[in-house]
Amino acid sequence: MLEDSQENDSIVMDVPKDEVLKEEINMPFGWYTLIFIINYYLSWLLAGFIFLSYFLIEFMPNVLQVTSFITLFTNPKSIVPLLLMPLIVIACYVIRLIFVGITTRILWRISERISPSKDGVIPRNIKSKAADYYHLRSFMLKYGKNLFTKGMFPWLSNWFFNFVGSSKIGKGTTLEESVASDKFVTVGRNTYMGVNATLASHLVQGIFGNIQYFRMHVGDNVTMAAMNQIGPGSEIMDGSYLLPLASTNRHSVLKGGHNYYFGIPLRKIFTKKTMNYLGITEEDLEKNENMEEYLKKIKLNPPKKQKKDKIIESTKIVTTEVTEEPQKEKIDVEKLSKEDLAIDFTTSSAISRINIKFLIVYVPILWLAGLIISIFWYEYTKGAWDFSNQTNLINSIFKNISTILFLPVAIFIMIYLFILGVLVFSKLLLILINMIHLPKEGIFLAEVGNVDYDFWMFRTELKKIALWFLRNSPLPWADFIALKWFGVNMDSSSHLYDAWCDVDFVSIGRKVLIGQGATIMSSMVIGKYLIIKRVVFDDYVMVGGHTTIAPGTIMGHDSVIGAISSTTYKRILDPNYIYFGIPAIPLKENKYAEERRDIVVKRLVDESKKAEETHEVNIDEDKRKFIKTGDDE
Amino acid sequence: MSIPNSMRVGPFLPTVLVKKRYLIFYILIVWLSAIPLFVEFWVYYRFVWSPVRPIFFFIYLPLLLLPMYLTLAFFGMFWAKIFLIIVNWIHSPREGVFLRDPSDRDYRFWSLRNTIKRWPFWVCHRFPFPFLDNICFKVFNVKTKFSNSLFEGWVDTEFITFGKNVVCGQGAIIQSSVIIGNLLIIRKTIIGDDVRIGSHAIVMPGTQIGNRSVLAANSVTTVGQVLKDDWIYVGIPCKEFKQNWFFEDNLEDKLGVAEDVSALLGKYEKIITKVRWTENLTLKERKAIKRQQKEEEERRWELSKEMDDEKQEDIF
Repeated sequence: MLEDSQENDSIVMDVPKDEVLKEEINMPFGWYTLIFIINYYLSWLLAGFIFLSYFLIEFMPNVLQVTSFITLFTNPKSIVPLLLMPLIVIACYVIRLIFVGITTRILWRISERISPSKDGVIPRNIKSKAADYYHLRSFMLKYGKNLFTKGMFPWLSNWFFNFVGSSKIGKGTTLEESVASDKFVTVGRNTYMGVNATLASHLVQGIFGNIQYFRMHVGDNVTMAAMNQIGPGSEIMDGSYLLPLASTNRHSVLKGGHNYYFGIPLRKIFTKKTMNYLGITEEDLEKNENMEEYLKKIKLNPPKKQKKDKIIESTKIVTTEVTEEPQKEKIDVEKLSKEDLAIDFTTSSAISRINIKFLIVYVPILWLAGLIISIFWYEYTKGAWDFSNQTNLINSIFKNISTILFLPVAIFIMIYLFILGVLVFSKLLLILINMIHLPKEGIFLAEVGNVDYDFWMFRTELKKIALWFLRNSPLPWADFIALKWFGVNMDSSSHLYDAWCDVDFVSIGRKVLIGQGATIMSSMVIGKYLIIKRVVFDDYVMVGGHTTIAPGTIMGHDSVIGAISSTTYKRILDPNYIYFGIPAIPLKENKYAEERRDIVVKRLVDESKKAEETHEVNIDEDKRKFIKTGDDE
Repeated sequence: MSIPNSMRVGPFLPTVLVKKRYLIFYILIVWLSAIPLFVEFWVYYRFVWSPVRPIFFFIYLPLLLLPMYLTLAFFGMFWAKIFLIIVNWIHSPREGVFLRDPSDRDYRFWSLRNTIKRWPFWVCHRFPFPFLDNICFKVFNVKTKFSNSLFEGWVDTEFITFGKNVVCGQGAIIQSSVIIGNLLIIRKTIIGDDVRIGSHAIVMPGTQIGNRSVLAANSVTTVGQVLKDDWIYVGIPCKEFKQNWFFEDNLEDKLGVAEDVSALLGKYEKIITKVRWTENLTLKERKAIKRQQKEEEERRWELSKEMDDEKQEDIF
């Protein structure tokens, strides 16, 4: 396999990049910008106005102008505005959320009228109205979704989805944070979906493949523990209980009825096994099945006191005795076999141990970046806010109407000026650090004191700030700028904004799609050692959702790796293949890539040859095939 | 390293809201913790603002924002802690299997606790500094060390004990409470020193992970599973894979690569599936083995039941 790597490298290099003339699929970016501007502008307008006017009319003269600390709390004229201020902030925040809901709803309705979303297979790489509107709708939903689910009041997100009309969510249902499960989904009542559980109503089969877009139905009283991946078109009937990581393919039907499911792909498990997995007794299961009867029984004869017998008292701690840990025998490293030391499993690299030293670096970066926006704000408001004349309030507001109307724009500019400042200053620091110690690949001791490890951690923490702000900004799609700036070879045609990604030693080709919640690691911690190795994605590669890519992975062009898979250290995936599994093994050839590549990429070829190639995409036939087989994800 | 933009990965607090009135607590905590902010702003304004040279006010404003943020976080923690102490005094949190129904007291209080703790954890995790998270964990009685990296996974905020130098992978889920069916299962999760939890791994409630062991990526433990010291665990649900030698010295040059992946897959499957018919066995022998396994399973099952009974007797 090691010898193969060089061969593969040459294959990777073979793709003639300079011959590509034009790529046909382009997202309607103009529309994206327009939608974003409308949504963003309206969301800030009223909230910003209320906050500013409260601040200037009530807070400024009554609180800030008070000279003595004691009168601040004794004078009711100043204490009341002070106490009300947080509530005003909360109210403005909620108003903003509501405005986002309203604008998204209007935009959503308009787009639905032009091209209604319906079940079907949309070819991803062929320009069509359906594909355009599919992308447009996902874009317009994303802003609101991020705002609601990541914000202060995640409880309102159900209201948002119902109000916009993207999906129907019943009463009493809780959806924890997840990458998808936002559109074309019907969820019943009293359902619980654990963290990172995804109801994916859409599924992309490679860069050249189709988008499968089917409505999903989840019944009442369904629970998903965590990280469940449900494919499009699935139907989950009332009372199905999914254990963690239980995942289905597309178009699967779970019959429900107090049944427990487990595994990838999921299957029903027996009662005995359920009890084993969950560490519960038969009594609990009975309660679970006939809960109403059980509740009635309790109502009739309420328990006198909390009975203790039904509760497993605190878990017994199985400790290996602490009595002077016997000196661990030194094992002769030479004796260990090759298999013992092979890295044939994947872990993680999420070391975020912060050294107080690093804080010294953070503070100047944030200050300098903050200075820019602070001066911008000074210039923006200079002379505009003269409310000293209390009698002429309305007049002065009218005079400053332009300042109020441009407020959302000013906020937008300030956010991105700040991020730009952070980017520039951390990049400058990074150049300095890289001059002191050049980043390199290899295997290092993961202990404080090792130079490579220390500098790796320092780089990671430094790059994190800008990326963090960019990914939390109103336009998280812009994170490729930071990635590119910090040394990932990529361009704007690739997407990885919904994935965890290391920012060292990653190369990404053109039109690469990294799935939702995937992890791309160019560094990994194995026991005492830190492994750093470059990860390479060639052009037109797709990585499925929740997939783990270990360091040293090289993916050839046009290859696809399925969802919930993982690769091992230094794995090489051949071009043009679909991979799946833990660890990933080749499943079948990527036929779409062969069939449709030329539609996407126009190369410099003879015109005569070009005319010969005809492309028929029979969507109906395709659809039938998928519904029947459906073995890859 | 960088977190997906559509999720707020971090300390995990379920958004289950059994009763809408719990939100009053939440808003109360937000309100109380935000008041000191504005007092701070007042102090700054008093000292630095001068209408003649307003530029000084704006130059030092970014420097003020950091302490303001810290104040918000710490006051949030303070008020949430006080509320939590009162709530825990009314009904102390405990382990067990409860009903997912508003009539169940434990379920209600579990939801209330999560609602109260949400604000400080939310504030602490809005910023890329990991240390605030750690302080927050410590305030709310999760035993953890500053050497742990829990920033990029979902970690429950009660009934969890960590050793030192734990690495929780990207998108890993460490739970001490899980909702399955109409049941809410709360068990204490214990994680030892130097444990490495792979990305997208799920640790279920009640799991005890020994020192220096590894839970590989995309693996799941079962409720109450005990993982030994110095082992690598793989699979859904996870099983022993091989001994963890990677804490020995001087291995830099010796670490190898999994070369034959299909063989590796076979190896994984061997661990995961119980029945192995690799040798050429006759039908009789297979039947005998099957019977033996069944008996063994039943015996274990009875044993576990007996143990449960004993436990109950102990309590009375």
